[in-house]
Amino acid sequence: MTAGAPPTDATPMGGQPSGGQPADDWFERRLHWRGLMGALLHVRVPAESKTFFFGGITLFLFGVQVVTGTLLALYYKPTPAAAYDSVLFLTSDVSFGWLIRSVHHWGANLMIVFLVLHLLRVFFQAAYKFPRELTWVVGVGLLGLTMVFGFTGYLLPWDQRAYWATVVGTEIAGGVPIIGDTLLVLLRGGADVTEATLSRFFGIHVLVVPLALGMIVAVHLVFVHQQGLASPQVPDPRPPAVPTGRTKPFFPDYLLEEVIAWLFLLAILVVLASIFPAGLEEEANPLETPAHIKPEWYFLGVYELLKHVPRIVGILAPMVFVLLLLVLPFIDRNPEVRPRRRPLAIVLGILGIAVMVGLTIWGYVS
Amino acid sequence: MARRTLPRLVLAAPIAVVLLLLAAGTIAAQDPEPSLIPGPPAPTPIAHPAADGANGCADCHASLDGRQKAIVEDWRTGIHGIGGVGCADCHGGDPRSDQITVAMSEEAGFLGVPSRDQTVGVCGSCHSDAERMRPYGLPTDQYSKYWTSIHGQRLLAADDTKVAICIDCHGSHLIKKASDPTADVYPLNVPATCSRCHSDATLMEPYGIPTDQYATYEKSVHGQALITDKDIRAPSCASCHGSHSAKPPRSSEVVDVCGKCHTATQELYLESRHSELATAAPKCWTCHGTHDVAPPGERLFFHDSLPDYECTTCHQPPDMALSLDVEQFDTEADRRCDTCHHPESLIYSQVEAIAGALGGATDAQRRAEAKIAEARGLGMLVQDAEVALTEAKTGYIQGQAAVHTTKLTEVTVHTEEATSKAASAEALAQAKLDESLFRRRAMIIVVAVILANVAILFAIKRRIDRSRREQGQGAPPAT
Amino acid sequence: MGATATDPTGGRLPRRRFLAALAGFSIVSMAALVVTPIVGFLVPPRTSGGAAGGKVLVGKVADIPPGEGKVVPVGSKPTIVVNTAQGMKAYSAICTHLGCIVTYDSGSAAIVCPCHDGRFNPTTGAVESGPPPTGLTPEEVTVEGDEIFVVSA
Repeated sequence: MTAGAPPTDATPMGGQPSGGQPADDWFERRLHWRGLMGALLHVRVPAESKTFFFGGITLFLFGVQVVTGTLLALYYKPTPAAAYDSVLFLTSDVSFGWLIRSVHHWGANLMIVFLVLHLLRVFFQAAYKFPRELTWVVGVGLLGLTMVFGFTGYLLPWDQRAYWATVVGTEIAGGVPIIGDTLLVLLRGGADVTEATLSRFFGIHVLVVPLALGMIVAVHLVFVHQQGLASPQVPDPRPPAVPTGRTKPFFPDYLLEEVIAWLFLLAILVVLASIFPAGLEEEANPLETPAHIKPEWYFLGVYELLKHVPRIVGILAPMVFVLLLLVLPFIDRNPEVRPRRRPLAIVLGILGIAVMVGLTIWGYVS
Repeated sequence: MARRTLPRLVLAAPIAVVLLLLAAGTIAAQDPEPSLIPGPPAPTPIAHPAADGANGCADCHASLDGRQKAIVEDWRTGIHGIGGVGCADCHGGDPRSDQITVAMSEEAGFLGVPSRDQTVGVCGSCHSDAERMRPYGLPTDQYSKYWTSIHGQRLLAADDTKVAICIDCHGSHLIKKASDPTADVYPLNVPATCSRCHSDATLMEPYGIPTDQYATYEKSVHGQALITDKDIRAPSCASCHGSHSAKPPRSSEVVDVCGKCHTATQELYLESRHSELATAAPKCWTCHGTHDVAPPGERLFFHDSLPDYECTTCHQPPDMALSLDVEQFDTEADRRCDTCHHPESLIYSQVEAIAGALGGATDAQRRAEAKIAEARGLGMLVQDAEVALTEAKTGYIQGQAAVHTTKLTEVTVHTEEATSKAASAEALAQAKLDESLFRRRAMIIVVAVILANVAILFAIKRRIDRSRREQGQGAPPAT
Repeated sequence: MGATATDPTGGRLPRRRFLAALAGFSIVSMAALVVTPIVGFLVPPRTSGGAAGGKVLVGKVADIPPGEGKVVPVGSKPTIVVNTAQGMKAYSAICTHLGCIVTYDSGSAAIVCPCHDGRFNPTTGAVESGPPPTGLTPEEVTVEGDEIFVVSA
């Protein structure tokens, strides 16, 4: 870091003569930010990087969720007496309320999709290997937090689907050995799903997880910045040295491409929100169990699995799976990154995808 | 003057008598009231030595053979066994002794197995005694009612041992409370119990009673409710025919029998022109059937194609009096207004108007429903339209019920409300459809703007790439 | 230096006025696209039924004298408000039998469904006679001054 040195290599942003220069100088004289911005932005990334956007897209979608979620929180009322009506009100009567809610709904689904795609991309390109083990571990934590987001947010409309899916979901959590009963009571704020549960889930969804996710994403990005993006062709040398191969600037080239991907995502969100608006079933009735209760699609695989194996296996299997993901960089000792040189990893990866997708589709149709 | 009035009187008298006879005959022919054979008074209970806790009968019979043992077990688990009504109370004899000569002796009042008409008396001897039945809160009118029933009258008139008596429905030894869901006389089980005999063609043939009642009832609205939905509020055979006083209702009684449950409908019917005519007008069963009651609908107004009109549809020989018998409306297709109201009759236009009012309301509701479904299919929230439609349905149902008054004004009051509410439901749904269309159009513009921006960024990117190549800035050497 | 590869070109961009104009348009249009719905959303709507989860004014006390009842819309839900001897009571006006809208019959002091003559007790909402399987759902009603409010739950 060339802190304090005269700004020779840090050119004015954009280099435009249209008034950017004096404003830039004004901030620079007060904040001395050029060095920092330079260090952050003026790095290089591998030249071929089409699949690298998945992580950034997930971040963009998180941003969309924060904005739309904040807006929704201005009208939503987190008590069973008022929740349903407040959602109905903001969907029907508030200008663009339908849009904000539907974008939030689809944003949540797409965020999970792209998070999984990002995970798969990192897995198949072996970017979790040395020196990026910690980045991967933090990433698995982010996956967990995002699932908590999905689970807690799902209850908030307080319609039949939301209520009963939460009942089933917390029951499954209660099946975890040893800590299950405590976990169930902690999650529900009592023995049953009541207004205590709604308060708890609302607080977690709107305060705890956003802060946690925000901070941990920052850590994740700092790690990524420190290590740069991994090359899919050649493993990072040990001891670390500057990677060779074709690279291009992060700013503005890569960032421009990233923003283009974000704009495409925005368009997709708008189309989905307009053609498939978020629905609302009838209000939650704790006395009337609907015929078919199914969790949201990202939990369908586990739900289906529980129907066919003993309960304890069905609860421990996903936990073991997540644990394996967590320690993956430490148990995969093969230094190779190219697919042909790591057949076991590739086969296990494809098998894992097939099982999860298969179980999810099965859960959907049954 | 006297010379002319006398011949006139003489002429007039026979004519008057003839007319009077005709009238009486007509009235009699329409609804003959057969005089009932009075039933015998309730006998006293069988006199036998008191049991004082002993039950020699059961002790002995239980060890006789399988069949006797089963009988004793039945009695023990039944309500009589639990309640302390012993063998001797129905069969007589001395329950204190296990010697057959003492226990089953005439001196002890032993009756053996009572004959079928004796049985009615045996049961009735206790069950019509008010003081005896008081602690159990049981009614005491079954005995007297039974003798008025077709079963009882047949027993009195012809000593017919095939008719139903107490034990055929209630059991002889294993008797259960009527409130016990496993009892043959529990409301849900009544149709099956009655049809044990009444669906048996060989048994019913000598009496000329049809045996299709259960089969038709099963498919009816009442049968579906009772048998399939297990709703004990639904009518069983006994609800309309009576249980102990079992008898098919007469034409003059139908409205009261159906009106036991369908109170509001009865009130409406009594406002109508139909209720003013005794036999010359439709009763409930004329349009709705008897055992095969189906959900009513607008199909009940008109035939699909004009029927062949015959005099005997409405006028009964030999005197061609106006009378509608239930048998003439056996076929469901004949249960229509225009079976009697010919298209060229005065009343027909009123029938058409009523049918039209209901039909218009139905059409309005269907249109609204279709629009709401369309809006819902596009993902719009349609609660407000659905509430308006519910209000329309309320009005329509009331309009349907008002048809029983045969008054057009009574019907249109409700159908107009139903139609207007359905129209507002349709309007609300249309607003949702318009909103959905607006959103799609807006979406296209928004997406176009976004894609324009994408194109701009692409353009910027390409210029950057090109200028890099121009300036020879490929991949710089690593520092 | 660590493993980060610093870019010596420093992100120098070609000087193009046109590029700047395009970029400006891009930023402005995207900003407008995003800000418009947000601002629209933040402006509270003028609704007819009143806010969700709050009190809805359904009428004045004078509208419903003692021994009378009236069906009023609360949000999108029809509600029947009855002035009983035990105070103002309110219930969902949707009959539990087949969904018709009930009315109040002051003659028999009962809530009646006109479709099949189901009757409900105006003090408790329980079924008194007829085909409805269960009673009417009670709603919370308060009287403040001379105004009647139903809490839309």
